[in-house]
Amino acid sequence: MSYRKALTAAAAAGVLLAASGAAADVKFGALYPFSGDLALLGEESYRGLEIAVEEINANGGVQGEQIVLERGDAVDNNQAIGEARRLISREQVAGIFGSYASSRSIAASQVAELSGIPYFELGAVADEVTGRGLEWLWRTNPTAEHMGQLIVEMTVEAIAPRLNRDPGDLRIAIIHEDSSYGTSVAGHQERYGKEAGLNIVTVQAYPANTVDMSSLVLDLQSRDIDVVYQTSYQNDSVLFLQQADEAGFKPAAIVGGGGGYSLQPTADAVGHELIDGVLNADFTQYLVNTEATPGLEDFVSAYEERYGTFPRSGHSLNNYVGAKAILQALDEADGFDPDVIAETMAAIDIPAGQTAAGYGMLFDDTHQNERAAMMGLQWQDGKLVTVYPEEAAYAPMRLGNE
Amino acid sequence: MDTFLQVLTNGLMLGGLFAIVSIGLTLIFGIVKVINFAHGEYLMVGMYLTFLLATGLHVHPYLTVAAVAPLLFVLGALTQRFLIQPLMSARDEHVQIFATVGLSTALMNLALLVFGADIASTPSSGLRTSLHLGPVRILLGQAVIFVVSIALVAALHWYLQRTQTGRAIRAVAQNRDAAQLMGINVNWIYILTFGIGAACVGLAASLVAPLYPTQPTSGTYFVLIAFVVVVLGGLGSIGGAFLGAMVIGLIDSLSGFYIGSDLREVAVFGVFLLILILRPSGLFGRKNLAHVSP
Repeated sequence: MSYRKALTAAAAAGVLLAASGAAADVKFGALYPFSGDLALLGEESYRGLEIAVEEINANGGVQGEQIVLERGDAVDNNQAIGEARRLISREQVAGIFGSYASSRSIAASQVAELSGIPYFELGAVADEVTGRGLEWLWRTNPTAEHMGQLIVEMTVEAIAPRLNRDPGDLRIAIIHEDSSYGTSVAGHQERYGKEAGLNIVTVQAYPANTVDMSSLVLDLQSRDIDVVYQTSYQNDSVLFLQQADEAGFKPAAIVGGGGGYSLQPTADAVGHELIDGVLNADFTQYLVNTEATPGLEDFVSAYEERYGTFPRSGHSLNNYVGAKAILQALDEADGFDPDVIAETMAAIDIPAGQTAAGYGMLFDDTHQNERAAMMGLQWQDGKLVTVYPEEAAYAPMRLGNE
Repeated sequence: MDTFLQVLTNGLMLGGLFAIVSIGLTLIFGIVKVINFAHGEYLMVGMYLTFLLATGLHVHPYLTVAAVAPLLFVLGALTQRFLIQPLMSARDEHVQIFATVGLSTALMNLALLVFGADIASTPSSGLRTSLHLGPVRILLGQAVIFVVSIALVAALHWYLQRTQTGRAIRAVAQNRDAAQLMGINVNWIYILTFGIGAACVGLAASLVAPLYPTQPTSGTYFVLIAFVVVVLGGLGSIGGAFLGAMVIGLIDSLSGFYIGSDLREVAVFGVFLLILILRPSGLFGRKNLAHVSP
């Protein structure tokens, strides 16, 4: 389908939706990549928002009004801008939820900023989303910084003790794909690592679509590396794990940074045996101690009932948690004026351990949720289970002699 | 010393990989004179076909070449007949380039639609076994690629030199109009050559797929390197492409180890620019690009 046809169809659907909705409904935009190569996880993220909205509508809505979601397809950055404009000026939404991909979020939120319409980011991780001093953007989810921070913390608190080593003695290598995702996570790893007194021996970047990592592996091997942090997509995760194995390079621990390391096809591609024991940091996933994530089971059953399948990734959960917290807070407010919404956001104060993703919610001066956190995960028997922090662990971390 | 030998070996193996992917491109460029930007996507399509056939029929990925190479031949021939040929008489030959760019984008998005963005992994069927040759270790699958790329260069050389059709192909490459006057059906030769070039990629795909994950963007990295290799080797020179691939593979591997993986591409493209400045027609190219030299 051409873009134009897709747009026409979307517009037609929008008109139908608008016609069928009662006038008293309150309309919010849902801006995600619904087509193109980010569509899979864009759609997955949207499902979390949709479940939050349906749950709240079933309980009487917000301020007695039913929420209507107006979808916008952010297939690329230009279209993200175009769709944000449409949502704001034609659909007159009270706010926009989005957007999974950081680049889309950065582009579209500029439009919302200029119009003074609240933009709620529930899933994009790049630093720049909240780092630009925007007045009308809030982010509920953990970021690249939380990822780097958690990986360092996990190294000090859990990995080193299990290897019976002093954290400062571990020789650590940071390798990352060279786009903004890998570079920013690696930057945070390096910064937090140095603060924590870790010995970071080398930091190496490479292009994500590379076809050979053997010289990188040899380099790490010759430096006697104990722990490798890799921030990568699927192709390079698979290549590194395979080529390290073939070269006989067996570091005491490999820690992924989301991306390819969080996806089941990666594990299936390299083999469950080879990936066994590999650590990772990412959004809250489903194999977690549910005492630390109240409401997670309800979310999963709502998801399964609605879509007939188990959630495909943690993205839906994190979008659900962010959207639900915001909409519940708005229920207490009076009206949907941007100023009212801004006051409401500033007043949100949810302690850790009270949402389905485990983290709490409190926005700092940059409108980033400072209580957002990632979790430490490990591939165990072909499954990605939560192993850190301990109170959220689904199973104990397997490392060294344990 | 052992590490150096290993880095060197890795470089040669990487060179073999680049060579087998580039041979089809240099053939098409040398004879049809079309810069085929969809070359990487041919490889990607071939890798998906290998994946589908190997997992669907439970056969060794190498056996799928019997189907993948002919299918790619057809794809290449169709591209020439229905995309390039109508544009051959266009006022500006750059139109053909844009047509192949369009084909490339279309194929990539088609793969996204059909297979999604996740990787597909063809079973490695024992090809990831390490062979130990003295101090160095190579993967069985890499060794096969290396040997087959040499064999493919030799086979194409023989075909172009010794067969009647091969002579006709060279004649068309040298002078299209004169060849036509000699009674050679030029359009048919172009279709055939495009088909053979694509079939070479099909062969490459069946060898590459068991070693590397397949995704819709798999072709993008390869095609960039393939263009460097082809230009370095002297556009249209098949033997030159092979040697160009070795040079790039070695630089890639050595710089990755001794300089740093983030500067690999700087080294590769730096050397590439340097060679082009010193020898504008490539390492083995002739000044007159009308030739295809085996």
